[in-house]
Amino acid sequence: MFRKDFQLAWRDRTGWLSAFAFAAISILVYSFAFDLAATDVRPLLPGVLWTTFLFVGIFANGQSFQREADAGTFDAMMIAPVSPSTIFFGKVITNLVALVLIELALLVLATMLFDTVLLTAELILVVAIGTTGYVSLTTLLSTLGSRARARAVLLPVLALPLLVPLLIAGVRATGVALDEPVGSAPWMLLLSMFALWATVGGALLFPLAVER
Amino acid sequence: MTAQSFAVVSHGLTKRYAGVEVVSEASFALPTASKIALLGPNGAGKSTLLGMLSSLITPTDGDASIAGYPLRINPPALRRQIGVLGHLPMVYEELSPLENLEFFARLYEVPNPDARVEQLLRTVGLWRRRREPTQVFSRGFHQRLALARAVLHHPTLMLLDEPETGLDPAGVELLDELVMRDPNVTVLAATHLVERTAQWAHGLLRLERGRVIEAPAMPPTVAASTVGATL
Repeated sequence: MFRKDFQLAWRDRTGWLSAFAFAAISILVYSFAFDLAATDVRPLLPGVLWTTFLFVGIFANGQSFQREADAGTFDAMMIAPVSPSTIFFGKVITNLVALVLIELALLVLATMLFDTVLLTAELILVVAIGTTGYVSLTTLLSTLGSRARARAVLLPVLALPLLVPLLIAGVRATGVALDEPVGSAPWMLLLSMFALWATVGGALLFPLAVER
Repeated sequence: MTAQSFAVVSHGLTKRYAGVEVVSEASFALPTASKIALLGPNGAGKSTLLGMLSSLITPTDGDASIAGYPLRINPPALRRQIGVLGHLPMVYEELSPLENLEFFARLYEVPNPDARVEQLLRTVGLWRRRREPTQVFSRGFHQRLALARAVLHHPTLMLLDEPETGLDPAGVELLDELVMRDPNVTVLAATHLVERTAQWAHGLLRLERGRVIEAPAMPPTVAASTVGATL
């Protein structure tokens, strides 16, 4: 399952490349918007990064099941003797790997544009855990919308309100990683709990989400 | 006849969408290795019935057994018994025919997969083009690949939804060779080519507005005991 999903993601990489191009342009626009010479941009970076990550994720994950539903291959998997959880985790892992790679590239770009070291182990861990949470949730929600006519708008409408806790925790935990004063709340723990809840909940709810 | 004599035993299968009964209390039994044509006008519920029997659509009411396995429980062993050929080829456009069949062979844990995949690709005439992306193929070649995918794991029940769509005469002959004339396979095929059913069908299952109005004869013993016992 994973091999097939990686093969598909690689062969049909235009969607991922478009997502990366969109994110790179966003980071570039932010870098021009801030006066780097006069202002310390570090307090703004967590918000900049997570807004970009979030929209890249929703843009790319929305296509996860859409193509499979259109081609009937999703039905082919559903009637095969494999558990729905395997299908779910195949998609989650593929989307996670692709998105983390895009996010690492964005961190390199942001490091250059904002003149701030962002490729630290702590920040990469925050990004990886946060991405696991929102990939699990958006992968689950993209199955709900894959047969709907208004699927392009359905995923953001469903996902964004549910992702608010993750966004807050992600932004705050990123602030901690950048040595910004963000209070003493255990943001990393909250982020990890959200990621765990989204992954376990996604796997448990997936069979119900795909039932026809 | 015993329960094992029937590949499919359906008892009151019903599917409602938003209160509308698309299939209504469908009860019938298909003898093992029989070839049954599923007939009915557009909107009669043929595709929904096939969807329920393939375990893709969850029935609202009723139940069925496939090769003795209850549909409601839907174990992997039941899904191994079923091959589906529908409107869509159900193959990955980005993968080659070889990669598609290798993937489905792994999914169904087909023994000796390389030999089986090669045999099928040669049979359906795609061996020389096995490494080309499927998206460059014509509709007919897609359907040939779909046919190979459907029979790859040696299913004992084939559920077909207008299987001749897109096939040229040679493709239809392939369909007959691989499915319709296979003595070990039970076939339930929705079709509008009524005149062609004379070549392969042993019986008819006719639907109208979701209700079964004609079904293969079900011996009273099966109707009274086997259906209940099997389910």
